[in-house]
Amino acid sequence: MKDIFAGKLVRLSAFDPEEMSKAFARWNLNSEYQRLLNLSPHRMQSAKSNLKWMEEEVGEMSPASYFFSIRTLVEDKLIGELGLDVVSWPGRDAFVGLGIGETEYWSKGYGTDVMNVLLHFAFAEINLRRVTLSVFEYNPRAIRSYEKAGFRHEGRTRKVLNKEGQRWDVLYMGILREEWMGLDIPFQGG
Amino acid sequence: MKDLFRGELVRFTLEEPEPSAKAQVCWQRDTEFHRLIDGDPALLNSEKKIKEWIEKQVETGFEPDRYYFSVRTLAEEKYIGFLGLWVDLIHSEAWVGLGIGEREFWSKGYGTDMMKLCLQYAFSELCVARVSLGLHEYNPRALRSYEKCGFRLEGRTRKDGMREGKRHDTLWMGILREEWLGLDKGVGVVE
Repeated sequence: MKDIFAGKLVRLSAFDPEEMSKAFARWNLNSEYQRLLNLSPHRMQSAKSNLKWMEEEVGEMSPASYFFSIRTLVEDKLIGELGLDVVSWPGRDAFVGLGIGETEYWSKGYGTDVMNVLLHFAFAEINLRRVTLSVFEYNPRAIRSYEKAGFRHEGRTRKVLNKEGQRWDVLYMGILREEWMGLDIPFQGG
Repeated sequence: MKDLFRGELVRFTLEEPEPSAKAQVCWQRDTEFHRLIDGDPALLNSEKKIKEWIEKQVETGFEPDRYYFSVRTLAEEKYIGFLGLWVDLIHSEAWVGLGIGEREFWSKGYGTDMMKLCLQYAFSELCVARVSLGLHEYNPRALRSYEKCGFRLEGRTRKDGMREGKRHDTLWMGILREEWLGLDKGVGVVE
């Protein structure tokens, strides 16, 4: 196993609160990015208040909580962030959330690559049994990406999003360890 | 609906730090007890220090990798000992340690009852894949008890402890979830 954190396009790297808080502030200026990612109303935060939040809330990695920067392999550019939080130890289930803040990397397979790396880490290193995520009804690009990574639709909470004068559903998707093992993923065991 | 915290002879509870510290201050002067449960040298801690340590344990009562119970008898509600579980969450393995500080409850099945209750909790509630423990070579009563619960002797580290001028081994035992599921839980005897 050469590097469990490297995919074909991206790698997961340790997150640096200083760098990340500045990136967050910049990415959140893009209301389209926020629309796809955030349940709460769009707002802007300073890099300084992001840093405070990161140092207090995000904290150290622990068996239950993982937070990574997403960097391109080619230029080592910081393009996004990813978090994995174990929801239940007896159930060995974790919730994943990711965002690609650099919009020129949308629709190019980067998100799917990140998710493939994450799932390998989750199933082969943390020994989880399932991974869960939520995605907004109006984000078909992400839904397709997660389907490609092996996630299945499990349910939806109806009309919970209230944006731009319309109500939308939040979709829940999940993938089980045995389903992931049955997929034909290139770097499994490689 | 079975009460997870109730066995046949004992039940698990959470003691207030003060009565717990009072009992432990007495038990720590029972050197035979100390040597059976611990590898550390016999030490004396003040009741105040023990109480503070217990309060700290109770404070961080939500860590998913540590569980601590006090043990009381069902018959008389007497506080007789304690049991702790340390979980390696990534590998789904738990280490258990227990002690019965009240000597008149030794050799009467109390330890076995405590361990059976613990295994039920570890496997059906925490859902770990295995439970491990270590014990001293010179504690055959515990070895027999753990065997009755389904633990298998897996190895020994030779002469890694020294007491009264003599070296002794530490024994290591384990039980897998599938082995526990296969036990006749009423009898609990494994080949």
